[in-house]
Amino acid sequence: MTAARTATAPAPRLETAGLTLGHDRTLVVRELDLRLPTGQVTVIVGPNGCGKSTLLGGLARTIAPRSGAVLLDGKPLGSLSTRAIARIIGLLPQSATAPDGLTVRDLVRYGRQPHQGLLRQWSAADAEAVEHALTAADLHDLADRPLDTLSGGQRQRAWIAMAVAQDTDILMLDEPTSALDMGHALEVLEMVRGLTGRGRTVVLVLHDLSTACRYADHMVAMRDGRIAAQGAPRDIVTPELVRELYGVESAILTDPVHGTPVVCPVGLAARTA
Amino acid sequence: MTFRSLLLRGLIPAAALLLAAVLASLLLGAGDVGPSRALATLLGDGDSDSRFTVFQLRAPRTAVAVAVGLALGVAGTVLQAAARNPLAEPGLLGVSTGASFAVVVAIVLGAGAASVGPYVAVLGAAAGCLLALGAARLRGAGDDPVRLVLAGAALSGLMNAGSSVLLLSDARAADEIRFWTIGSVAGRGTDQLLSVLPVLVLGLLLAAAAGPALTALSLGDDVATGLGHKPRRARALAVAAVALLVGSATAIAGPVSFVGLVVPFAARALVGPDLRRLLAVSALLGPVVVLLADVASRLFARPYEMPLGVMTALFGAPVLVAVVRSQRMPAL
Amino acid sequence: MTPTPPNPPRPAALPVPPGTRLLAFGGRSVLLPVRPLLGGLALLAVVVLVTAVALSVGETRLNPVDALRAAFGHGTPRDVLLVERLRLPRAEAGLAVGAALGVAGCLMQTLAQNRLATPDTVGFNNGATAFAVASVTGTATQLLPSAAALVGAATAAALAFALGGGAGRNGYRFLVVGLGVGAVFGAVTNLMLSRAAIDSANAAYAWTVGTLNGRSAEAVGYLQLGLLVCVPAGMLLGRRLALLRFSDAVATGLGVRVRGLRISVLLVAVVCAGLAVAVSGPLGMIALAAPEAARRIAGPRSVPVLTSAAAGAALTLLADLLGRTVLSPLEVPAGLVTAVVGGPYLLWLLLTTRPRRTA
Repeated sequence: MTAARTATAPAPRLETAGLTLGHDRTLVVRELDLRLPTGQVTVIVGPNGCGKSTLLGGLARTIAPRSGAVLLDGKPLGSLSTRAIARIIGLLPQSATAPDGLTVRDLVRYGRQPHQGLLRQWSAADAEAVEHALTAADLHDLADRPLDTLSGGQRQRAWIAMAVAQDTDILMLDEPTSALDMGHALEVLEMVRGLTGRGRTVVLVLHDLSTACRYADHMVAMRDGRIAAQGAPRDIVTPELVRELYGVESAILTDPVHGTPVVCPVGLAARTA
Repeated sequence: MTFRSLLLRGLIPAAALLLAAVLASLLLGAGDVGPSRALATLLGDGDSDSRFTVFQLRAPRTAVAVAVGLALGVAGTVLQAAARNPLAEPGLLGVSTGASFAVVVAIVLGAGAASVGPYVAVLGAAAGCLLALGAARLRGAGDDPVRLVLAGAALSGLMNAGSSVLLLSDARAADEIRFWTIGSVAGRGTDQLLSVLPVLVLGLLLAAAAGPALTALSLGDDVATGLGHKPRRARALAVAAVALLVGSATAIAGPVSFVGLVVPFAARALVGPDLRRLLAVSALLGPVVVLLADVASRLFARPYEMPLGVMTALFGAPVLVAVVRSQRMPAL
Repeated sequence: MTPTPPNPPRPAALPVPPGTRLLAFGGRSVLLPVRPLLGGLALLAVVVLVTAVALSVGETRLNPVDALRAAFGHGTPRDVLLVERLRLPRAEAGLAVGAALGVAGCLMQTLAQNRLATPDTVGFNNGATAFAVASVTGTATQLLPSAAALVGAATAAALAFALGGGAGRNGYRFLVVGLGVGAVFGAVTNLMLSRAAIDSANAAYAWTVGTLNGRSAEAVGYLQLGLLVCVPAGMLLGRRLALLRFSDAVATGLGVRVRGLRISVLLVAVVCAGLAVAVSGPLGMIALAAPEAARRIAGPRSVPVLTSAAAGAALTLLADLLGRTVLSPLEVPAGLVTAVVGGPYLLWLLLTTRPRRTA
């Protein structure tokens, strides 16, 4: 997209080695080994409280590991400056809030901050990245509207545009569709999938398993802080997996349009000890 | 909780504390009458000097402190129940400062402090109460304990500043006024106490009358209505009770903060959340807190005396912090 | 997706965000926001104006222009003496106190993500006052008042943060904890004042309301020194500060070391508040109102540290001016003026500020 991007020929790869994460006294993610396939959409799924968001936080260094490490191009994140990481990994956390009165363009411009400095406040790359992000999110008409006047879907697109303007090789989004209705959710997810076009790696946390199947190249199913299964959705999504994750009996159908698995819940599974 | 356990865990310990606090207030203090001599005097074996100190100086002061504590303790409990807010405290919400500000204004307008009496104070307290609660309810901040407190703090800061400006501009009345900006029971006697007693008693009666409805209110307005109570009337009754109680207390002792916070907090620790039990225990613990604060204020700054209001802030502010920390405050 | 241009594009061809001008020189680039910049300049003019009036008003009235000239040593010897000796020190103190409170308020509000969190509402001022009074009355310490006030502000900050569970995540709880901490320090101050000899009661009064009357030249010197460090520091932090207004995760994602930034911001705020209190006592509301005015001028994109300082300076001087003139010959301390004028404003702010909703 920019000079910087084409120069970094060997694409960076993110992986974890024995990653353990926790809040306060509880461990949420245990001893996780994970590799994120470059240039693909990885979707993390799992029941409430399984550690999806925590894992994403760990991958994006907002949560420091208890043990193990997240490796970016083989180097632990902790050894890199957070600003340098911000040029490679972009993060959109769940339910982000913005100061009052900010316009869409203002927000998107903040995405350029990792590339700027006190005496390097605006460059051609900045201008281009902001334009590109506004285009990708189809927000040109709304660029100078305050965020609080937008609909939920538009606002979410503005946030994603900020992350896009950051122009990182890896982009992580935590439940970007959680507060949106079906139409807005689709709008956001289609936009996100469009981002992988140029070798960008995308990591999503999603709530809904069928949606996840539809958009994931690579799916990571978590339960109790561990990986229950990972791989292409059509390979790993089985009634057994759904039962293991959610305690639900289900039938797995095939989406007649996209050919991806669709989970049809049948009833609660019998409790096994 | 049965009545027996209320007696064992609430009333008896509180009454014992009250007895001890009254004794401490009679025995300890500035001046040359030490504890042992004061005790001997109490047991009927004292000279005229020590009798004067104990019966003419300390006893009236103790009675005043008991009355003030009773009023503020009960007022705090009632206000917390009415606002459904563990931080609602007459001092913090600007009720006490409202009362003292009203008195200051009356004095500046020409009334003598003695003739002003408790009625102006009650009016001021009512105004302060309504202002804080009303403003908060109007803007929908009433459901948020913390914002209510901040609004009250802003209100009382404003009225304090107003009092100070009046104090500056009217040097003649300054001495009379200064008392009304900081609470104290020093030099207060039975005269003042008797003149506010009717108001105080009326306040207590109203508080008792509001009790059952307020208890139901703790389950929410809808449930209370379902149980046959009228939430609006109960709240109005509670506000009237608080205004009468705080107004009378302020008329004797000036604005004293934090008592209405500490007392319900301690009472809840003893007997749990039931309002009727809380009221009974608060009525005993209120005097304890004020008496202890008064005794401490006599001893701390010898030979000077420290205002009671300062002492209660010293005790009470940490309790405020503790309450906020223990609460699951809405994340804003 | 355009191919990489062979040469860096000329600045002239570079599109800039609306409402800004680009200042580019030798590979450096600074983006100037036009409206905030003009607003800031207008504010600066207001500061000069208020200063001129403040210098001209007193027992002998001067013409504001003469007063300003006299401040720079021009004019009749009598005017110069009057202004330089008597009025200028007070005006300088007011400007410095106001600027410091403006900076401290702006930083605290950003740190706590709450417009109501200012050094006075969260107890810094009371802490600083308590320690300064301890140093003045000589009951506890031999520290200079300025140093004592610094320690006091830092103590109050540490307490409020430790007990409030940190600002930001639960802003309002932090505020009430700060209120409690402030109340304790206020009580301690009263305790010390009631123990102090009666003849110093008048001096003591200044420590309970906040006033520019009777400020110590030494403390003003320390404050000015502090400002010389803190204002540039605040401006340097400014760009990252803007990101602190988002959630921690967003700020981290954009490359900000949130913890470290928080600590430096708090440090600057504490130094400003502490040194200012050592001069004027607990002067309220300035730290609340100045950033608010600055935000009106600077708009939502940035955190206006410098504009806040200017607004604080103007407001403080204005409050002092009002206090000297309204009930003249009686002098109302600036702290009472700010309390009476700012109180309703604070209430209004409190009751109209909606809790922040999630996106």
